Amino acid sequence: MIITDNLTKKYGEHTALDHLNLNVNAGEIYCLLGANGAGKTTTINLLLGFIEPTSGSAFINQLNVKDDAKATKRFLAYIPENLMLYPGLTAVENLDYFSGIAGKKFGNNQLKTFLEEAGLQADAFGNRISTFSKGMRQKVGIAIALAKEAKVLLLDEPTSGLDPKASNEFGLLLQQLRSKGVATLMATHDLFRAKEVGSHIGIMKDGQLKQQFVAEDISLSELEQAYLNTMDYKELAS
Amino acid sequence: MLSYNFKYELKQLLRARWIQLLSVVLLVLFGFSAFNGIQKVEKRKLDIAAAQEEVKENDAMMLKLLDSVERGLEVSVPRWTIPSSPMAVGNYHPRVAAMEPQPMAFIATGQADLFTHYVKPTVYGDDFSLNFTEMTSPVQLLFGSFDLAFVVVFLLPLLIIAFSYNVLSSEKESGSLRLLAAQPIGIQNWVLQKLGLRFFWLAVLVIIALTLVFLVLGINPFTQARVYFGLLGLVLTYMLFWFALAFLVNLWVGSSAKNAVALLGLWVVFVLLVPSVLNQFGNTLYPMPSRTLMINEMRSLKAEVTERQDEILDNYLRDHPEFALNDTTQQRGFWHRYMASQKLIKEELSPVVNGYEEQLQRQQDWIGRFKWISPAIIAQESLNQIAGTATKDYEGFRKQVVNFSGTWREHFMPFLYNNQDFSQADYDALPRFTYQKETALQFGGLGILLVVSLVLFATGIFGYKKLSGAGILDQA
Repeated sequence: MIITDNLTKKYGEHTALDHLNLNVNAGEIYCLLGANGAGKTTTINLLLGFIEPTSGSAFINQLNVKDDAKATKRFLAYIPENLMLYPGLTAVENLDYFSGIAGKKFGNNQLKTFLEEAGLQADAFGNRISTFSKGMRQKVGIAIALAKEAKVLLLDEPTSGLDPKASNEFGLLLQQLRSKGVATLMATHDLFRAKEVGSHIGIMKDGQLKQQFVAEDISLSELEQAYLNTMDYKELAS
Repeated sequence: MLSYNFKYELKQLLRARWIQLLSVVLLVLFGFSAFNGIQKVEKRKLDIAAAQEEVKENDAMMLKLLDSVERGLEVSVPRWTIPSSPMAVGNYHPRVAAMEPQPMAFIATGQADLFTHYVKPTVYGDDFSLNFTEMTSPVQLLFGSFDLAFVVVFLLPLLIIAFSYNVLSSEKESGSLRLLAAQPIGIQNWVLQKLGLRFFWLAVLVIIALTLVFLVLGINPFTQARVYFGLLGLVLTYMLFWFALAFLVNLWVGSSAKNAVALLGLWVVFVLLVPSVLNQFGNTLYPMPSRTLMINEMRSLKAEVTERQDEILDNYLRDHPEFALNDTTQQRGFWHRYMASQKLIKEELSPVVNGYEEQLQRQQDWIGRFKWISPAIIAQESLNQIAGTATKDYEGFRKQVVNFSGTWREHFMPFLYNNQDFSQADYDALPRFTYQKETALQFGGLGILLVVSLVLFATGIFGYKKLSGAGILDQA
């Protein structure tokens, strides 16, 4: 579902992403770990077609992002760290708008069902987004993904700033999507959440994918050690 | 995407207080400017009516005097003003040559605050032909009149800028652009549709405002369909141009602040700078001949002609044998010589007067050639034309008055040279002036504006990807 082939992005002399090779299949959640500037967000921006690669290719559902940027977006949903919806519109209206411009038409009841599935309380459906917390906005983002019937979900630090309960709920939602066969790529700093929800975990540094694991094959403490070693935090590694 | 964009953009607009405020401001501006325009037109009508009333009273007095004279009674007025003398009628009882305001005159003051709307040509003197300008406050000239044309040409673009400068940049700044750009849509199409809705909203307001103005004034838009729809078409096309500029600025310029500065800069260029530069160039390339020199030349010519009046009169009578005197008891006086010399003066002066007119025409041609550079010039000219207050209208009025003064003068020539008295029976045959609007409504400017706007939109739609050359974040 998500493939990168020697994907590289340079800004002048600086290499933000260096020959990244990645493969995320349907029903997998791939968590990209790394410090700030490791290349996680650059990878997501390239997969979204927000920026153009210097070399290499990215594919979503077997379509080249560079050549078919618009077509690839039919299959994907994206939730950034701060999901900014239209504050003057309600949750139902935002969902109707974003699914509508993506070519999906739903009735009011169907829209409410998606919001319910995403875990939003029913009494918030008709409230304006300006009154929503970050966690509630992320749930609307998930509802958009559900409404779009997205095959690919790109998440850029979605749990950053969420309280533990909201973060846990978000993790559960990702598991639901995984069970529906959605391929998810999540950039995060949160090792715990990555271990909990991820099927695969990759550690990036200086634009390169340094290590990859199957989540089941590694414990949280081993993951932590691997992360600290990769980051050269010798004094922190035991 | 279109229906969703329209539906939700409209919802957001209707819920936004600043949009509600801008909408009210627009309606108030249209209402106030139309009221202002109407006041000016009313004043103009009253001035003309007062002048005509004065002529009417004067005529009643003249007819009474004539009646007394014809009945052999003595009249207590100076001898030279007794209306049995044709020259007294031609001189002291002139007709009003008035330029009645057109039905749409309230739209644009145009040249109306620079030129007079009525004159009274007499058989003596021709200063009226040079004296068409009115005394006007320089402060008013500096700021212009607060009429509908001012609102449309100067203020409406500012409202459009306020409506449209941050359509894309606000999405960038609030962070919602990333979510939008992750949808299968073209950003330029999305911006175009958003602007389309805002154009639609403003267009609805403008149509409501103009229709209300028409109805309040008692003008049926459908009986004046050509003017009404022409005016709407012009205003909407002018708005379209500013939305097209906003479209390009939204696509290519960055932050909201930069967009606002860029659009305001374009407003200064198109609305203030280009018209004044064109005007300046027109004046430099085709300077108007000095009015003082023309008057001096006229005076010296008159002085020269006065010295040769006997000779001129002889020549005149040679050309007009029908005025030859068979009665030796009568003789030729001042008026005979004066009127005979007028024809000569007119002929001698025609190169000077024509030079003045030709230079004015060259200036107008120059501006006409380059007016497409500034949509503000096109809009203002077209509005003046609809209102009947364009330079061409006043030029037409001036020519009609000059022709009428000739007719007025010629009317008294047989009386004068046949030494015939003017009587009550001759009153009805006195020439009367009726202004005929010569310029037909033309909407060529509207076509130019439409083409320019479409070219700008096409540049945005087809040139955006090519010129930006990368993804939306690369160029942001």
